[in-house]
Amino acid sequence: MVQNAQIGSNDLAFEAVGLKKQFDGGKVAALRGVDLQIKQGEFVAVIGPSGCGKSTLLQLLGSLDRPSEGVLTYRGNSIPDMPDPAAYRAHEIGFVFQAFNLLPTFTAVENVQIPMFEGSWSRSQRKERAIQLLKSVGLEHRLSHFPSELSGGERQRVAIARGLANKPSVVLADEPTGNLDSESARQIIELLTQLHRELGMTLVLVTHDLTVAERASRTIRMKDGRVVVD
Amino acid sequence: MTFLTIVVRGLIRRPVRTGLTLVGISIGIAAVVALVGMAWGYEKSMVKHLDVMDIDVVVSNMSGGILPKAYDASLLDKIVKLPRVAEATSVLMQMLSVEDAPMMMVSGRQWGGFTWSQIKLIEGRMPRDGTESAVVLGRLAAEVLKKKVGDTVQIETREIPVVGIVDGQAVVDNGAIILSLPVMQEATGNEGKVNFIDIRVTPDTTKEETNQLCKQIKDIFPEGRAMVASEVVSTSQGFRIARAMSWSTSLLAIVVGVLGVMNTMLMTVFERTHEIGILLAVGWKRRRVVYMVLCESALLGLLGGITGVTLGAIGLKILETTPAIHGLLEPDLSAKLVLISVAIAVAVGVVSGLYPAWRSSRLSPSLALHG
Repeated sequence: MVQNAQIGSNDLAFEAVGLKKQFDGGKVAALRGVDLQIKQGEFVAVIGPSGCGKSTLLQLLGSLDRPSEGVLTYRGNSIPDMPDPAAYRAHEIGFVFQAFNLLPTFTAVENVQIPMFEGSWSRSQRKERAIQLLKSVGLEHRLSHFPSELSGGERQRVAIARGLANKPSVVLADEPTGNLDSESARQIIELLTQLHRELGMTLVLVTHDLTVAERASRTIRMKDGRVVVD
Repeated sequence: MTFLTIVVRGLIRRPVRTGLTLVGISIGIAAVVALVGMAWGYEKSMVKHLDVMDIDVVVSNMSGGILPKAYDASLLDKIVKLPRVAEATSVLMQMLSVEDAPMMMVSGRQWGGFTWSQIKLIEGRMPRDGTESAVVLGRLAAEVLKKKVGDTVQIETREIPVVGIVDGQAVVDNGAIILSLPVMQEATGNEGKVNFIDIRVTPDTTKEETNQLCKQIKDIFPEGRAMVASEVVSTSQGFRIARAMSWSTSLLAIVVGVLGVMNTMLMTVFERTHEIGILLAVGWKRRRVVYMVLCESALLGLLGGITGVTLGAIGLKILETTPAIHGLLEPDLSAKLVLISVAIAVAVGVVSGLYPAWRSSRLSPSLALHG
């Protein structure tokens, strides 16, 4: 894990060469040959219209799916060939989803602890860290609330806290403001930007909103499964 | 929060479904407890009878059947002459329908034998001698038949006076109608016949010598068998059949329980595909997801086992009071039966969860998240 890496470090976090992804036995080509490099500590926004492949790219970066062709590495190691993708997701990656994807039968503080079961945290350490993370995202007063009792913005804050649970080097945010009103969206982007500044992790944020993308230090524009502007 | 918290939450998210599944397992386990408890109780009662009577060897003629066949009573005269035999006494015992009771143990015992001296009179008197047409009732038999001293009881076609109520310590005696051997033989048309000879060996007899005595009895009674008391229950075909029937019926109930739990867990995995996708996405290893599913099904089994044992115990108590059972056997709800029943329930849970757990391990994180 990289702690407090300098923004714009020369070390690569991700590298993709000729990355392709097809679904439905090749009928749907989500990625048609993507080449890109993302440095450790960078804040990169990936923008493009719906269906351009940006979410698929994020899933491949996070090892939620496997590419059909091409090379994809994380710090020089092939992601599809990782012997333990779960460990990679647990300790290197933090996901933030558009739909929040919180577990409905667990409270905010419990949701944040879920990823920590794959770490070496004790029970009290898990709880302590979860409380601390929720405080850092401004939810110290909502620890015992279930997702159904939280607003959209609050749920996304919980999801961000959960994404940071195991001190990842990379946060992958897939349309984190897509289900939020404009004020909540602004707060979430502000929060992500602040956390990126303080923690120095690599932040890859997928969005179709240009105003959100402007907050990043670099923008990658995709269309029809390819990178068109970088 | 612990991993157990996660497991428990998985079960209580659908309380009605979990509750119904628990009912299914409980019924299966209650069947195990009730049926096996009765079979074991029946065996335990016989073992206690042999122990209370201090019987060392039993001579009977099972001839491949379930019930002992009657044989010539004169065999006793040959047996008492064998070495190591301290005492021997004859019994003609049958299960008969007596008045309103569908099945009662009626035990005709050789007058003056040790099978009379071990039963304790609690009301009335014992028969005066071996010829008196009189019965004493075990205290449980008196309850079942609703008889007291002075009443009569009909055995086959004879009305015989009840002269006493006794306590024999074992249900085999407390649930029996006891009378002298000749009166029993006459009443049942088995003059000159017995179906058990109970033997006490001399105090210094070794195990090998007892076995030798059994062989000698076999030599003079080839169609029958002499068994050491400790082996009577384990080798008895009747007990074996009772045991097999109770377990095989219970097995049916257990199979139904397995199917119920497996269905519940499969539904759980299907419904929680998205949730499992989230767990995989945040870094849970597949084996942790599998472990979670197995723990949920094992916990279902455990809770069902505990409930089932409770239900089974209540069922046994109720069965014990029914006329068909009361006085015939004393159900055995031992710690061993409780532990075995709960262990079966947990095993049911784990086995039922194997396939659903395997299914959960096959889920692709991205497909599960979008499913």
